[in-house]
Amino acid sequence: MSTAASAPTRAVHASPLTVPLRIAWLLNRPGTTGRTAALLPAASFAVVTTLLLTVLAGALSFLQWGDRDGDLYLLLAGFALILLVLPLITLGGSAARLSARRRDEHLSTLRLLGASAATVRQVTVLEAGAQALAGALAGVAGYLVLAPFVQLIHFRGAPLGAAYWLHPAAGLLTVAVVVALAAVSSAVGLRRVAVSPLGVRTRAVPQRVRGRRVAAAVLIIAGCVFALMSPSASAVVALAVVFGAFAAGLAVLNLAGPWLVAVSARRRLRRAATPQALLAARIVLDAPKAAWRQVSALSMVCFTAVVAGSGAALVQGVPSEGLQDFLGQDIMTGVLITVVAGFLMVACSAGINQAATVLDRAELYRSLDRMGMPRGVIDAARIGAVMQPVLLVSIVSTAVPALLLFPLTGAAVLFEPLSMAFLAGSLAVGVALVRAGLAAMGPVLTGVLETGSGPRG
Amino acid sequence: MSGAPLLAAENLVKTYNGAPALSGVSLTVRPGESVAVMGASGSGKTTLLHCLAGIVQPDAGRVRLFRDAALPVEVTALKDDARSALRRRDFGFVFQQGLLIPELTAGENVALALMLGGTERRQAEQAAAGALAALGLAGMEGRRIGELSGGQAQRVAIARAQVTGARMLFADEPTGALDSSTSAEVMRLLLQTVQGSGRALMVVTHDSEVARWCGRVITLADGVVVADTAGASGVRR
Repeated sequence: MSTAASAPTRAVHASPLTVPLRIAWLLNRPGTTGRTAALLPAASFAVVTTLLLTVLAGALSFLQWGDRDGDLYLLLAGFALILLVLPLITLGGSAARLSARRRDEHLSTLRLLGASAATVRQVTVLEAGAQALAGALAGVAGYLVLAPFVQLIHFRGAPLGAAYWLHPAAGLLTVAVVVALAAVSSAVGLRRVAVSPLGVRTRAVPQRVRGRRVAAAVLIIAGCVFALMSPSASAVVALAVVFGAFAAGLAVLNLAGPWLVAVSARRRLRRAATPQALLAARIVLDAPKAAWRQVSALSMVCFTAVVAGSGAALVQGVPSEGLQDFLGQDIMTGVLITVVAGFLMVACSAGINQAATVLDRAELYRSLDRMGMPRGVIDAARIGAVMQPVLLVSIVSTAVPALLLFPLTGAAVLFEPLSMAFLAGSLAVGVALVRAGLAAMGPVLTGVLETGSGPRG
Repeated sequence: MSGAPLLAAENLVKTYNGAPALSGVSLTVRPGESVAVMGASGSGKTTLLHCLAGIVQPDAGRVRLFRDAALPVEVTALKDDARSALRRRDFGFVFQQGLLIPELTAGENVALALMLGGTERRQAEQAAAGALAALGLAGMEGRRIGELSGGQAQRVAIARAQVTGARMLFADEPTGALDSSTSAEVMRLLLQTVQGSGRALMVVTHDSEVARWCGRVITLADGVVVADTAGASGVRR
């Protein structure tokens, strides 16, 4: 006869996600999580969802026009949405890293107790998904709060008004997409985190960036020039070539970006005269690809801002009738919204990455603090390590299209200086947003330094 | 050992959430001394090191640093920034796993300590190369920390602790992550930096083998000094 007390616990057949779900709930019950580290990813996903819903609502409002102009506006808005997807994916990966870091003791204990690496991965992905869901729902609230202001934005000379309201299904779909993207990018992001029974560590393999990336970039440019100069058989082919050239331009930036970041960091390293400058340059040089990846979305945003912004500024200055009366101004409005949204997402992602790094290196930072390194130096080094690539990417991605399309950009500056100044101002505001996002992570560092002064031995 | 003190603590009291970590600890460290602080986990040895080094403020009692015998600095009366500056200039630290900055080279890790004090980079790197060479790491300034063995990394940490000319060195379980022969080597180098230099060394350890290297052993239990005896350093050296 067996009793409940003496019978061995039997495994109950359950779905593959039952165990990770139960563990995720156990670790994330109210009152069990560190507040700042838990709120950061959720807050970032809230910002992302608000931005996505706002841009999506603006885009879908064009459908209600029911004319050919609406199609063109829809196409342009769709393009803006695509530009925002890459920073969203980066943000998801950052959130996953932070999630793993803040729960490092729990996760390594799970491994010690025999949980497989897959189970731990599932728990973390579920956490990232749950954070994204909470954030996305808050983001829906953000969309509603912003509504009265966004409805005042003019397109085709009239405010968006009631056309701004999304169908609830579109809102739900956006929330689902944010959660799914967060889960997928968290799974990808986790490949860079090793969870062993002894602890959680970010896999740090020194990265080398070779000059052959530049050679590949040159080849792509040559291919584009050849394609653009070839006589096209039809308008469709011409359009494909133009889109291809744009994609190739971005590919060039992505190929050459890490190399450029590394070259710039090496230059800064040689000149570094202060501890913070030395540290910042070395941190970038240690992982130039990661430094680039974090800010690469800005290259697309700046690139597009210059090309579309210059074109829009010129169109604005040409006296016209019908659609063209508003097209330039409307494209400029769209560009400004995309610039601010893109920079905001990068600011969130960079901030979250910083929080994860600070937690990753808590013991090191505590030791530096004990040795008397001023907190200002640690702060300046971590901020500089992100801001250097941000500034580099922003300047290069603005300057390259400005020079390549000099007839267009030059004319825009000459004839529409105010619009171009406004565009430059919005890029500067974007950079300031990223800087503010990094500064906002200061309390995480302070928290880490202060938790180290308890009793040990 | 007699002579003017380098560091003196009087009646240090520290509690954490109502639990006493130090209950009236007094001690004096003199130049040339090597002091091991031993005790079980929770005995208060790390808290004592933190109070002496100005990392945490005791609830009561005072710590004085005798840079100048006639004009001691009251560490416990200083504000946070001033204590940080004091740690940069007057104290050197060696931690259990070196805790070096992984992105920097060995030379840069050592030079950083000087740069924080305002030394020009080139000069700091030259001094760092000299300090590393003195510890048997000549030519390794350009190596990344990940490319060094545990013992070599700890030697870089020792170089970093002494390159500023700090007279009081604190080592918190400096051999905790090392095998016995590397531990012996690290202790030999730590003591070498103290001998005849006017410096003093305080090692927090739970390992009696490590403590035997020091000239004096202080034992703590429940935040109280229960023994303060001469060590067996002469035997091993």
